Amino acid sequence: MSSLIWYIYEFARKTWIDGFFDAKSKEDIAHKPDRFRDFPNVIKENCIGCGSCTASCPSPNAIKLVRDSDNEESTGLIFPVINKSACIRCGFCAEVCPSTPKTLECGENHFIREEFNIIPSKRKYIVDDYLCIRCKKCMDACEVGAIEEIDDRLVVNQSKCISCGKCLETCPVKGAMRGVFVNNLEEQKKIINLTVNTLEKYIESKQDDLIQLGTDKLFLDELKFKPIFDESLTILNDEEVVHEVLEDAINRLKIRIITWDGDNCKKCQMCIPDCPTGAISFDSDNDTIVRDKEKCLRCSICYQTCPFGVIKYFLAKFNLDTNDNDEEVIHISVKASQLAERRA
Amino acid sequence: MLKKLKDIVRKSSIHVCIVNCGGCNGCDVELVALLSPRYDLEQYGIYVHNNPREADVLLVTGAVTEQWRDNLRRIYAKTPEPKIVVAVGNCPQSGDVFAQEGGRVLAPVSDFIPVDAAIPGCPPRPSEILEAVLTVAPGALAAKGRAQDARKD
Repeated sequence: MSSLIWYIYEFARKTWIDGFFDAKSKEDIAHKPDRFRDFPNVIKENCIGCGSCTASCPSPNAIKLVRDSDNEESTGLIFPVINKSACIRCGFCAEVCPSTPKTLECGENHFIREEFNIIPSKRKYIVDDYLCIRCKKCMDACEVGAIEEIDDRLVVNQSKCISCGKCLETCPVKGAMRGVFVNNLEEQKKIINLTVNTLEKYIESKQDDLIQLGTDKLFLDELKFKPIFDESLTILNDEEVVHEVLEDAINRLKIRIITWDGDNCKKCQMCIPDCPTGAISFDSDNDTIVRDKEKCLRCSICYQTCPFGVIKYFLAKFNLDTNDNDEEVIHISVKASQLAERRA
Repeated sequence: MLKKLKDIVRKSSIHVCIVNCGGCNGCDVELVALLSPRYDLEQYGIYVHNNPREADVLLVTGAVTEQWRDNLRRIYAKTPEPKIVVAVGNCPQSGDVFAQEGGRVLAPVSDFIPVDAAIPGCPPRPSEILEAVLTVAPGALAAKGRAQDARKD
């Protein structure tokens, strides 16, 4: 009896009745996934007629090189023709096509080459051999066994790597395992240049404060991160890439600063022959020492030579951090060099 | 009146027989996927049999092998009129990767039995198969049925 009631309940359910009279497949069954390789698309004009597509095709009747009939102006174009009833959509023809731009396009090309990841990823994972301590934690963490030991060195096998980033998380040494961005290298360069120039300009503008600074004191300052970040975004509009490139650049940056206190200078000219680039010279007409900032290497030799403390030498370090208001700021710390004191 | 009724019946209930005449089973797997709830073949009035005597549509997969040369004709003869043949995938059309030099496949299928529709792909997507069967089969079946009735009269 109870089973009968259960049956009536099942059949009387509204969804069942709806499904019975108005059944529909979901629309998405007709959608092809993003990475679906459809039949290759031929762009006739790019073909160089090398025949590598026909050689690579696993299906005998799928692809043929044909040639248009010649006319008075020019010889006929050579181009491949795909026979859809034999093509297996493997995309080999598009991968081997050597013409630039490619004659055959077939979805996303995977490029069966070592230097490209099989899985499209912004990052390429590499081991910095200099910093790596060979703890092999990344080898255990890697789920596809892409990290191999060759000649006592850890190497990421790019053809196996799936770019999951687990090695980066487990690595105990900062910087030993690196996920570098492989695209937009020119833009990344521009961003780094922009950062270095902005920070250098800022720190040069604080020279007056620095001259007053005692030898064992630290000069601390903060600079807002947002303007640099926004300006970088105009170069490359990808927040993830820009933030990481900026963070790397700022945290590694060390700027050496030379200050020149012209009032104390006794014009002894001892610094002039010591300068390796000839940046310092004596202007006999005006009776002053002239320093060419463009030529200066900031090697600190003049600072170590000067007996009157005219030249001072500082080292500025930067660190990207968040302040109390959860804003990102660049902490700047400048320290006077103590080389001269040590020498004495 | 009777003719219209016959048309409706022929259009709304399509019985299909899968004939694998020597392929890799890739297309058969895609056909089986059509029976799953995601595609749900039967909601369109398509029923899958493995008996050609009950079928209206023969779905032929695979490059024809030596053993299938006569059997294919026999299966086609057993299917009651009106009937249509749909070649699923590349093998029945061109032999695909099996049509190598020195190979022993007898593709295309159209050398043995008349083919009404062909679906390219290796294998074709289930949605492509469904689309092709639904666009070709009801119309062709109804038209062939009418022609057959006319011949009888």
